Amino acid sequence: MEDFKSTIQTHEGNQHIIAAAFHLTKALVASNYLPEDMKKIFTDLDSHFSAMAVITETKGRKFTDLEQRLKHAEEEVVAWMSNPLMVCDSGPHEASQHFKVIDEIHSLMESLRNSPAADEFGKPTELLRRAESLLQTAMSRLEEELIHILHHHKQYFEPEYMSFRSCGSDDVYDESFVSVEEESQDEASRRNSTGSEFEDHLVDLIHPNVVPHLKSIAKMMFTSDYGQEFCQAFVKARKEALEEYWTTLEMETFSIEDMLRMDWKSLNYEIKKWNWIMKIIIRVYLPSEKRLCDQILGDFGSVSPYCFVETSKASMVYLLTFGEAVAMGDHRPEKLIRLLDMYEIVVDLLLDIDNLLFEEAGCYVRIEFHELLAKLGDCLRATFVEFRRVIASNMSTTPFPGGSIHPLTKYVMNYINTLAEYVDTLNVLLKDQDVEEEDPDSIFEMHNHTKDSSSSTSCPTAYHFRSITSTLESNLNTRSKLYKDGALQLVFLMNNINYIVQKVKGSKLGVFFGDTWIREHIAKVQQQATGYVRISWSYALSLIRSHDGHALPRVTFKERCRSFSIAFEEVYRNQTGWRVPDPQLREDLQISISQKVIHAYWNFTGRNSNDERHIKYTADDLENFLLDLFEGSSRSLQNSRRR
Amino acid sequence: MRATENQGSFLNRISIRRNQVVSMDGNHEQELEDIELFQKHVADRFSNLLSPSSSSSAESPSDSILSIAWLRKLLDTFLCCEAEFKALLIIGREPSQVSKPPLDRLIPELLDRVVKALDVCNAVTHGVEAVRHCQKLAEIAVSALEQKPIGDGQVRRAKKALNSLIAAVAIEDRDGVGSKSTERAWSFGRRGGSACAGSKDRTAGQFRSLWWGMAKGWSAAKQIQAMSSNLVAPRGAESTGLAHPVYIMSTVVVFVMWALVAAIPCQERTGLVTHFPVPRQLGWAQPIISLQEKIAEEWKKKEKKCSAGVLEEMQRLERLAQSLIEFTDSFQCPAEAERLGEVAAQVAELAETCRRMEEGLVPLQQQIREVFHKVVRTRTEVLNVLDQVGKASTTPTI
Repeated sequence: MEDFKSTIQTHEGNQHIIAAAFHLTKALVASNYLPEDMKKIFTDLDSHFSAMAVITETKGRKFTDLEQRLKHAEEEVVAWMSNPLMVCDSGPHEASQHFKVIDEIHSLMESLRNSPAADEFGKPTELLRRAESLLQTAMSRLEEELIHILHHHKQYFEPEYMSFRSCGSDDVYDESFVSVEEESQDEASRRNSTGSEFEDHLVDLIHPNVVPHLKSIAKMMFTSDYGQEFCQAFVKARKEALEEYWTTLEMETFSIEDMLRMDWKSLNYEIKKWNWIMKIIIRVYLPSEKRLCDQILGDFGSVSPYCFVETSKASMVYLLTFGEAVAMGDHRPEKLIRLLDMYEIVVDLLLDIDNLLFEEAGCYVRIEFHELLAKLGDCLRATFVEFRRVIASNMSTTPFPGGSIHPLTKYVMNYINTLAEYVDTLNVLLKDQDVEEEDPDSIFEMHNHTKDSSSSTSCPTAYHFRSITSTLESNLNTRSKLYKDGALQLVFLMNNINYIVQKVKGSKLGVFFGDTWIREHIAKVQQQATGYVRISWSYALSLIRSHDGHALPRVTFKERCRSFSIAFEEVYRNQTGWRVPDPQLREDLQISISQKVIHAYWNFTGRNSNDERHIKYTADDLENFLLDLFEGSSRSLQNSRRR
Repeated sequence: MRATENQGSFLNRISIRRNQVVSMDGNHEQELEDIELFQKHVADRFSNLLSPSSSSSAESPSDSILSIAWLRKLLDTFLCCEAEFKALLIIGREPSQVSKPPLDRLIPELLDRVVKALDVCNAVTHGVEAVRHCQKLAEIAVSALEQKPIGDGQVRRAKKALNSLIAAVAIEDRDGVGSKSTERAWSFGRRGGSACAGSKDRTAGQFRSLWWGMAKGWSAAKQIQAMSSNLVAPRGAESTGLAHPVYIMSTVVVFVMWALVAAIPCQERTGLVTHFPVPRQLGWAQPIISLQEKIAEEWKKKEKKCSAGVLEEMQRLERLAQSLIEFTDSFQCPAEAERLGEVAAQVAELAETCRRMEEGLVPLQQQIREVFHKVVRTRTEVLNVLDQVGKASTTPTI
């Protein structure tokens, strides 16, 4: 208000000068001491001033008045142009002063347009031209101000949690088919913590102090019909800000060709990064951008969504293309978890994307994100099928040394253990996926398991897990055939099935497999153990087993002792090289051997105790030797060399 | 049938054999017929593109070669050829057929081209944004120059927008390398003077940010070069059978992508090939060869002038902008009526061009996306077929 008064005062001031000049002229004309020629001039001047006074009463006065105001506005604009300080930097007083000038130009133009087309001097047209020109100058300056503010007052957010490092970029988590051991615990716990950290975080991308100022610039430019210029400058500046931010996030851009060629380690890293950036961009940055647009342009209808979409489209399209490229890639099983991550992130952000691109303008990007989800889903299903296929077809021609736990077993079990984290997503994805028919075992098992009827054992994920495990079992069965020794076949199966059972029992996988499954498989391991003892030890046992409970004839006893020792040494030499890594299982095996063999030996030597010199090993010796079995390093009994 | 048992069985055996032969022949003939039809369709479709205005009224050159409307027709043509090719290659075919030589080499080569084409599609999608940017600037000039009576303010306003437009157009070629430097030449240090003095400096970044979704160092010219480098017509025994349609489709992919790159500004086009060899004796190739020559001619002119691609509307925009800038440079109030009349006509043409761009660019962009998605889908389907063959023959080992 104050400033407006000052304008009026100046204006009134001008009128006073004119009035003063008029009076002075009148006084001079009336006076006697002027030469005639000069008097003539003053008389003319006097009549001009009089005429002016007359115009004041008619419409003519209006133009003079308007012209005066225009002149004044021109002076102000010139002053503004010569001021190197940007309005927003020069205090609120000057700012509103400058905006007042624009208002003044508007009202001048309004008045000029409403006046009759032209008077005898062509004045309104001429004045209108001058006013338009003035407006152009002011608008140009305003545009510069706009760009200046957008450039100098932009802000980025970089809270602690935003570091990608903390999201685990540098773990060398390379899930190639054999290298995975017990990796996935931290992966799983990390996953649970990433869900909500970005929620409801809107940040100020432009310092809030200058937002009202930007809003007035927008208002000025739009009411002056310079909205297009505003949008151009605004979108360009905001787009550059986003590009700059993108650079600070260290997000590299790749062509599809590059991505399809990328090795898994790099791709794995880039996918993690994409997941992280998706969250930041879609959940924090773009909603903040949208809010900024609304704050500044909310009063101008579709302008705000237009500017938002123009600013953000390129970034969204890139994120989209990245997803497309991943979904286009091959279906190697190690991708499964990263793909699930991507799928979950898109599901999670789809609503945000819908909200961001609610308006017509960004419609196609929104739809394409929905399509991307479907493609990722297809890719996941195909990868899942591939995962099974690879398990089924992963064969070798040489037996796995020592009959120990095969890496494939570890890989598969750890993998599905990690997959269990994604149970909800997997249930959706695998809902209508039939377990392949070629595997009647698994179908049978599934029917069996519906008895458990708890929802977790009958969900699609559970079916598929059991089916995958049974594919694994049949693979192991085939592999076991590579051993010539039937006992080693059983040790191999025992080791691996026991590993599977322990993994299921000791993790959340238990709920998917159910008690029935676990019992059945424990029974399997026990059967295999019994079978092992029978095959390995039946010959040795047959030598020392008494059929009637009586002592043997001396020669026979001597012969039996010798043969037993040889048989035992043979087994010892063989089976110390076998491996049963699970200490519990190893102990169980040793106990059941001991129960059968040592017990029989003890009876055997007891019955023939009168002939001790033929007894090479005591029962206690044998008991101790048994502890060496299944340690994975082949040994032979020192003093066994005979003949 | 009425013959003796012996004869019957003998005749039956013959007729069975003949049936087998006939049915095999029939398949083969059917295939030859399909291939021939495919060639004919490709020829017809591209001939239509060669003489576009035959169907439309002579009222406007709106669908002349390299206009937006023409590009949309080109993409339609591409989609038709693509669909027909896919049907020919996949439907009702024994998967093992596509893995036999020479297809075992030609199909992966085609798929490789297809992946490159996807990146071209993306680049061109960004390029359409660049064209839209120019359109918006032209629209500002139109709305300024449509004011009556025309005054100094509006003239200056138009001039500013047109200068930005020309700068954007010129920068595309000089700066289109996708140099994504984060430092920007902001020109606020020296302000003042005439309002549009700084505009040239500031437009320097105008196109730059349009490329930022593309990979660093990616080059449209190199991409097209790579796509066309191993494009060789099948010869001798290879030229019958499926090798031929695969070659045709490859040529269509390369041609369409090349035309898009020539028409629409995109990252790094310097050195774009103007010619890739298509044997002249092949009937279906004639219209493509003619189109290629026409576009190449435009492109060569363009390279001399250093303008933003050979899109008809862009050329028009550029020409009108140059001329109108001349007008704004020499503008003095009041302007001569004769000159004003000329300007009014140019402004009307500019407005009409903008209108066509407004109508056509967004659908064009969507069509490019459609091409993208169709191509992705076909690639997936072909890969699935190859996969089936692969799985049947090999089993991976650890």
